[in-house]
Amino acid sequence: MSKVKPAALPPDTVIGGYRIIRKVAAGGFGLVYLALDSEGQQVAVKEYLPSSLASRSAGEMAPLVPPEKLSLYRLGLKSFFEEGRSLAQISHPSVVSVMNFFRENETVYMVMNYLEGAALQDFIITARDQKQQKVFRESTIRSLFDEILRGLRIVHQHKMLHLDIKPANIFITDDNKSVLIDFGAAREVLSKEGNFIRPMYTPGFAAPEMYRRDSSMGPWTDIYAIGACIYACMQGYPPNEAPQRIEKDRIATALTRLRGVYSDNLIEVVEWCMALDPLSRPQSVFALQKELSREGERRYTKLSVAEKVRLQFDTMVTDTKKNTRSIASSVVKPK
Amino acid sequence: MKFSVFQVSRKGGRQLNEDRMGYSYTRSSGILLLADGMGGHPEGEVAAQLTLQAMSAQYQKEANPEIADVTAFLTSAVMGAHRQIIKYAIEKGMLDTPRTTVVAAVVQDGTATWVHCGDSRLYLVRNGKLVTRTRDHSYMEQPPAGQTAARAAERINRNILFTCLGSPTKPVFDITGPIALQQGDKILLCSDGLWDSLPDDDIVRQLSAKPVGQAVPDLVESALQKGGATSDNVTAIALEWETPDEFETTKGAVSTDHISDGVFASTVQSGSLARGDDDLDDAAIERSIAEINEAIRRSAAKRR
Repeated sequence: MSKVKPAALPPDTVIGGYRIIRKVAAGGFGLVYLALDSEGQQVAVKEYLPSSLASRSAGEMAPLVPPEKLSLYRLGLKSFFEEGRSLAQISHPSVVSVMNFFRENETVYMVMNYLEGAALQDFIITARDQKQQKVFRESTIRSLFDEILRGLRIVHQHKMLHLDIKPANIFITDDNKSVLIDFGAAREVLSKEGNFIRPMYTPGFAAPEMYRRDSSMGPWTDIYAIGACIYACMQGYPPNEAPQRIEKDRIATALTRLRGVYSDNLIEVVEWCMALDPLSRPQSVFALQKELSREGERRYTKLSVAEKVRLQFDTMVTDTKKNTRSIASSVVKPK
Repeated sequence: MKFSVFQVSRKGGRQLNEDRMGYSYTRSSGILLLADGMGGHPEGEVAAQLTLQAMSAQYQKEANPEIADVTAFLTSAVMGAHRQIIKYAIEKGMLDTPRTTVVAAVVQDGTATWVHCGDSRLYLVRNGKLVTRTRDHSYMEQPPAGQTAARAAERINRNILFTCLGSPTKPVFDITGPIALQQGDKILLCSDGLWDSLPDDDIVRQLSAKPVGQAVPDLVESALQKGGATSDNVTAIALEWETPDEFETTKGAVSTDHISDGVFASTVQSGSLARGDDDLDDAAIERSIAEINEAIRRSAAKRR
């Protein structure tokens, strides 16, 4: 398998009436370009070009697919179409919208609205590096996820699941809108190692049922990921991955450390969303929205001395396991 | 309950196999299913698959371990499958709905009851003779009033059905039975790919002469040969009824006695719509792109 990444189309190449400005991203499924449409409007153009199955040398337009990989290449194309189909049906400010879909250079292209801003992931990293007690303010978290949940609700209404919600797939635009991106590609990825399609999940954000890939997946599977994203916004780090939690669950302890920093309600919401048993989670986005938008004074239950001591002890134990969490020190610090 | 069952589906000369088949059974009840997705409309194989999934899911829900009212069950299962297809088409924003025929037989209490819609058939064979078979919902088999069958055969395209599942008009279907089964009775469900190539006499003779495990693949093979390079999909599933408490049964027969309550066995896969092994060809790619653009236009129109 060639390790060489397919070459991006050079700037000023015109495909399907869109003029490429530059490459902005590359993933397992292909490349994303910033381009201008015929009216000079900025758009994002996603090119299907899985690096494990196709190659393209600089100066070429069409990708080269070895005959033995052709059927997998076409199979991957199905997932790409899946993403297009999903997005085409949805029109919501919190869900990235697809504007066109076309075939050229022996591959296919998806045109989406171009978002300026950064992924939530980048904001979390920046915020946590400031080593504040809070990664994000609670009101920020609530309003951000309120928007995302509105979008996700529409997605679920169309009988679709995102299945790869994570901070890297939540985009915050420069005008402060949060948008859910990267659909469909989430469902299956082409395995880099072998000639098979492997289900994909992001450790920490994937619910336990994602590992089993059985029929128990539903809205609650995306809701688990939402809980994990809120958790990441509070802690600055992703939660432990689900199989690890089944062995020994540290989420409850980790959330206890946040008591007094974030409201009891928010902590409870995260615990609810991240229940290992799918049936114990909110069963619909609506149920979660209701809980998250609950008005009224926020209650903060501070840790008792005994609890702090216990946590400190726990920290010592986990620290020796080289599992340092920067947030831990700030929590045990008296307020 | 004891029976032997065998099923085969072959693509023939077509690009896609739009036929689907399967069976499920509990300790004291069984269902055979066969659906033939229709050409001339989109995604026939999806309609067929949805029908099998919907009907077997409902069967598995209601067979505890027997179906209380088989006629009511078949009626609601067929209508449920029909609604599933329509729902699928609406969700996908399809311009035309996928369509399929269906034939399904429930076997329990020593009797068989079946439903059919379209031109997929059921044959019941006893002692080398045809006891009964379904009448297709085609103008050829059921000519409009005032026309004889012979005249109809001359003038009417046998492929034209007046009903099926998935069409915007309410499906017409017939329920037959319950008919008491005897030791050695054979029930064959098949798509038109089989009966179109083989006369009824041949079907009855072959089915009677051999155990289902041989008869079914042989029948399918001879239909494919007659059909030649352009043969339609050929699918057949057959059951041989064996009365309990008889001496040692045919090898490979299914005995349901060991199945406990609340458990079923099924060959129908639930879950995602497996589109089979059909590779995405150029036409399919173009179709997908057109579909997506159509959906984009619709969403954009909604926004305005």
